[in-house]
Amino acid sequence: MQRNESRIRRLHDLLTRKELSCTELTQKYIDQIESDNARLNAYVNVTPAQALKSAQEVDKKLHAGEKLSLLEGIPMTLKDNISTEGIETTCCSNILKGYVPIYDATVWKTLKAHNAVMLGKTNMDEFAMGSSCDTSCFGGALNPYNQAHVAGGSSGGVASAVGGNLAVYGLGSDTGGSIRQPASFCGLVGLKPTYGAVSRYGLIAYASSLDQIGPITSTVEDAALVFDAISGKDEMDSTSSGARETTADKLNGDMKGLRIGIAREYFEGIRDDVKAALENAIKTYEHMGAEIVYFNLPILKYALPVYYILACAEASSNLGRYDGIRYGYRAQSYNSVHEMICKTRSEGFGAEVKRRILLGTYVLSSGYYDAYYKKAQNLRGTIVKAFRSAFETCDIILAPTVPMTAFELNFTAKDQVETYLTDICTVPINIAGLPAVSIPCGFDAKGLPIGMQLIGNTFCETTILKAAYHYESEKYAEIYKELDLGVRL
Amino acid sequence: MAVTKEEILDIALLSKLWVDESELDKLTEDMAGIIAFADTINAVGESAEDFDNINNLSNVFREDTVVPSYDRSLILKNVNGGENGYFPVKKRM
Repeated sequence: MQRNESRIRRLHDLLTRKELSCTELTQKYIDQIESDNARLNAYVNVTPAQALKSAQEVDKKLHAGEKLSLLEGIPMTLKDNISTEGIETTCCSNILKGYVPIYDATVWKTLKAHNAVMLGKTNMDEFAMGSSCDTSCFGGALNPYNQAHVAGGSSGGVASAVGGNLAVYGLGSDTGGSIRQPASFCGLVGLKPTYGAVSRYGLIAYASSLDQIGPITSTVEDAALVFDAISGKDEMDSTSSGARETTADKLNGDMKGLRIGIAREYFEGIRDDVKAALENAIKTYEHMGAEIVYFNLPILKYALPVYYILACAEASSNLGRYDGIRYGYRAQSYNSVHEMICKTRSEGFGAEVKRRILLGTYVLSSGYYDAYYKKAQNLRGTIVKAFRSAFETCDIILAPTVPMTAFELNFTAKDQVETYLTDICTVPINIAGLPAVSIPCGFDAKGLPIGMQLIGNTFCETTILKAAYHYESEKYAEIYKELDLGVRL
Repeated sequence: MAVTKEEILDIALLSKLWVDESELDKLTEDMAGIIAFADTINAVGESAEDFDNINNLSNVFREDTVVPSYDRSLILKNVNGGENGYFPVKKRM
């Protein structure tokens, strides 16, 4: 593979030139998963029979001389909170073990229509609540660069699988950074689209006003190709927006005149090596002809508490549906329906999920609603307005994705709040409903990837992906490290 | 705002969660830390904006139309087929 060539295009070419059948390609990935998954814990449910069946359909089309769309026959994975008809979907929680959805999420229905080959469902923090995948009831996914480090969270399994060459691409979900942070930790591209750009129908809800589905890929063009396929209006999700222009065909051009905003607050309290990598990236953009604009966004310091108040409030309501009656885990012994529900929930949810439900219920309860939930909602309005003003002076904002690189497995925060602080750079974007892409921009002394976040105005995915593509093209040799872990072709 | 063990137990009841006596001290301590952190937003004055929803969304209305629903047996598959077409819950006195 040369420079930042799209892996999806490369495999598409191999398939259409009949240098490799889709069944052979899929089998290579299945073999690789069999050999490496025990080490990475990326997949929680591998579906080889279904993958091979899809691959055979693609081979039939190839045999018949029919044209393939770019995503047809490309082996991929889904985070385990995206509903898949007939395939267990657990959110990596004991409370949903054994739950088999009877319908497909819209994103999966769309990709199925593209004959995507799904290899299985990937690991995540329980109900997407966490930053290192360690709240998963299956144990955490590990970093493909160094298995003494986490893959990140909550979409850690997707990042581990794509980074470890166990899938070409994957779909994750991002409520406060859950696509971008693991992409940053695993040296990948992670796109959190504008709120409403991609249908959430069939995504098991954590915080409905913040959740978005997006791709984790090896290259920027791959992210654009997947985003183009899954975005658009869906009548099953009233918050989804109408069809818009495609992005993958607009990545070329140049950076001259692009105004890149730097909010000074984003560079406070981040690790020195992360700061240095970001400063180098700014210089690269300047060299490419972009104009750098500095400004302050003081409201950012309130984004994290606002996020935890709103996300937990929505979670406490969304997770009220898990009562053990209609699906999933049910407590074995009980003396009343109330006891059955309480025992089911207490035994089925993990500690972090329970903490967030409790916090959410607290901030919504009588006497505290105004001081926490209402105040946080109003501050959300202030944060939205601050970003809107910022985009009057710049086209994109450049920031770190995470203030550090992937944590060690045995990392223990001194308290819960210290763990939450790792989300400080990503949560403002969900609060404001903006799109952002994380791309690699260097490595730390241990060889672990450093991520940079490019934030756009609403529905400006093309602008951030184009800027990301240009950086990737310019710095490919430095920022992209091939991991010799198996299938790459 | 300080949080007490009694408040945690009340909130747990509202959340339909049981808190074991052995977990209560640690949970109260964790929650106190998280709530103190949440409290930092109250340092902002009353000038915060009113907020309705993100990206100017508006409600979507349509006429009711009858469409086929899922087959009952399909829905009951997640409870081993159910009992007599219903979700079973053991009778308890």
